[in-house]
Amino acid sequence: MHIFVIEDEPLIRRELKILLENALYQVTAPDTFDSVTRQALDARPDLVLLDINLPGLSGFEICTQLRQQMEVPVIFLTSRDNSADELNGLLLGGDDYISKPYHAPVLLARIAAVLKRAGNARPGETSLFTKGGVTLDIAKCRLLYREQSAELTKSEMKILHRLFREPGAFVSRMDLIEYLWESRIFIDDNTLSVHVTKLREKLRSIGVQDFIVTRRGMGYRI
Amino acid sequence: MKLTDFIKDRGMLLLLHLVCMCAAAAFFTMTGYSRTNTVLFLLLWLLVLMSWLLATYLRRRRFFQEAQQILEKVDQRYLLGELLPDSFYLEDRLYRDMILRSNKQCIERIRQIEDEQRAYKEYIESWVHEIKAPITGISLLCDNRRNASASLPEDKPGFKESYLAINLENQKIENYVDMALYYARSDQVYKDYLIRETCLEDVVYQILDKNRLLLIQNRVRVQTDCKETVYTDEKWIAFILNQILLNSVKYRSESPLFNIRANRDKDGVTLLLEDNGPGIPPEDLPRIFDKGFTGSNGRDNRRSTGMGLYLCRRLCERLGIRLWAESEYAVGTKLYLQFPVNSYIHDARKN
Repeated sequence: MHIFVIEDEPLIRRELKILLENALYQVTAPDTFDSVTRQALDARPDLVLLDINLPGLSGFEICTQLRQQMEVPVIFLTSRDNSADELNGLLLGGDDYISKPYHAPVLLARIAAVLKRAGNARPGETSLFTKGGVTLDIAKCRLLYREQSAELTKSEMKILHRLFREPGAFVSRMDLIEYLWESRIFIDDNTLSVHVTKLREKLRSIGVQDFIVTRRGMGYRI
Repeated sequence: MKLTDFIKDRGMLLLLHLVCMCAAAAFFTMTGYSRTNTVLFLLLWLLVLMSWLLATYLRRRRFFQEAQQILEKVDQRYLLGELLPDSFYLEDRLYRDMILRSNKQCIERIRQIEDEQRAYKEYIESWVHEIKAPITGISLLCDNRRNASASLPEDKPGFKESYLAINLENQKIENYVDMALYYARSDQVYKDYLIRETCLEDVVYQILDKNRLLLIQNRVRVQTDCKETVYTDEKWIAFILNQILLNSVKYRSESPLFNIRANRDKDGVTLLLEDNGPGIPPEDLPRIFDKGFTGSNGRDNRRSTGMGLYLCRRLCERLGIRLWAESEYAVGTKLYLQFPVNSYIHDARKN
C-alpha cells in the first residue's frame, strides 16, 4: 500500500512518514513542490495525503490536476478548518478532509476507511495462528489444542490475536488495551485482567497449562 | 403624553395668567366696570387660553407619537436624530441638532469598536490556525516516539512515559485552543457549517480515538450503542461531544464508566451521554450551562473555566439541537442531545 504525502512543514512531514511507515504503509514524501503533481502521478500511489496551504500551488489546485489524470483517493490534511474549505475540498473530489491537529489513531482509522472504500483494503491477515500446538482460529473465533477446542468472546479473541502476532515477546498491558480500543472494545485495566483470567481458564479446560506468561511491569507473553 | 402631565408642565404659564386675570379683575372693579362685564371678559380670556392650550397639546402629542412610532419601527434607534419629524418649534430643532451631534459620535465609536472586534476575531482565527501546526507536530512526534520499539538511541527507560505525558498536555492545549476558536465563531455559525448526513457512531468513535490515551490512563470503560444517523455539522458536534467527554473524565468516579446511546423516536434522535461520576448538586444543575459557572465541583481543586458547557449550549442553540442534563448526586450525570427530525429532508427523500 503506497501513500504519497504532500506536506510542506518539514517536522510534520518527517513524523507523518514515520507514523505511516510504522503502520506498514510505503510512503513517499517529497520536499520540493515545483512539480509535485508530476511526482505524484509518476509514483502511482494508492492514496494521496494533501496539505492545502503549500508554497506555490494550493492543495485544491493539485487535487484538481491529479483528478484529471488518475482516480487516486485524496485526503486533505489541513489546519484550515472552516466549512467553506471543507466543502471546496469535497467538491473537488477529495475523499476525506481531516483538520489539524490530527491524532495518530484518528488519522490511521480514516486512512484505512478511505482505502477500504476505494476497494484497496489491505489483504486480510492470515486467520490461523499457531504457537506450541495451540491454534487460534480468527475466522471461527475458536481456540484449538489437539482434539479440543474452546469458544472465545470477541475481547478474548482480540487479546490472543495481539499476543499471537508477536509470539515470544512481551506485550505491555497498555499496548493490549490500546489494541482493544482500536477494535472498538473500550475496556479498562481491570477488565483486561478479568479477560486474561478467563482466557487462562479456557486454556486449562482444553488442557493447556501456563500458556500466557505474566511479568510484572512488562505485560503478557505467549 | 398625558393631558394632566402636559398641564402640570405648563403650571408656570397658568399661574402667570391667573395672576394677570386677578390683576385685570381688580383693575376693572376699581375703574368702575360692571361686574357682568368683568366676568364676561375673564371668561373670554379663559376660553382663548384653554383653546390655545388644547391646540398646543394636540400638536405636541402628535409630534411625540410620530417620534415614538419611528423609534419603535427602526432597529438602530441611535439613528433617531436623522428620522425625527420636522418641527416648527425652535427648541425641537435645537434638541434635534444636539441629538444628531451626540449620535454621530456614538455611531463612530460603535463602528470603531466593531472594526477592532472584527480585526481581533480574524487575528484569533488565523492565530488558531497557525498554532495548530506545531500542536500537530508535537502530537505526531510523541506518538511516534512512544510507539517506536526502543530502537532510537534517545529512548532510555521512562522516556515513553514522558512522551505520553507530553502528548496528554499537548491535547489539553489543543482543547483550550479549540474553545477559543469556537467561542470566536459561535455567534456566526451560519457562516461556517456544513449540514450532512452524519452517523453518530462515527463521531463518537472519532472522539474516543482522539482521547484514547487520556481515557485509558484514567481507567475509563466505555459502552457505545449509537448507530443512528442525523443531519448536522460533524465538526461542531464533535466539539460538543468532546467537551462533554472531557467533563466526564475531569469529574470521574473510582471506576469510571461512560455509556453513549442513541435512540430514535418520533421527535428525532436523542443521544444520551451518561457517566457514573460524582454528579451535580441539584442547586447547581440549572446553572451548569451558564458562562463562567464552575459549580461546587469545579471550585474545590480542579481547574475549571466554566466555558465548556456554555459553548456547548450556544452551539446547540445555533444548530437547533436541544441540550439538557439530568443528574443524581453521587450516582452520575446524564446529558441529552436531541436532534430534531428534519422534515424538509424527510419530504425530499420521499418524493
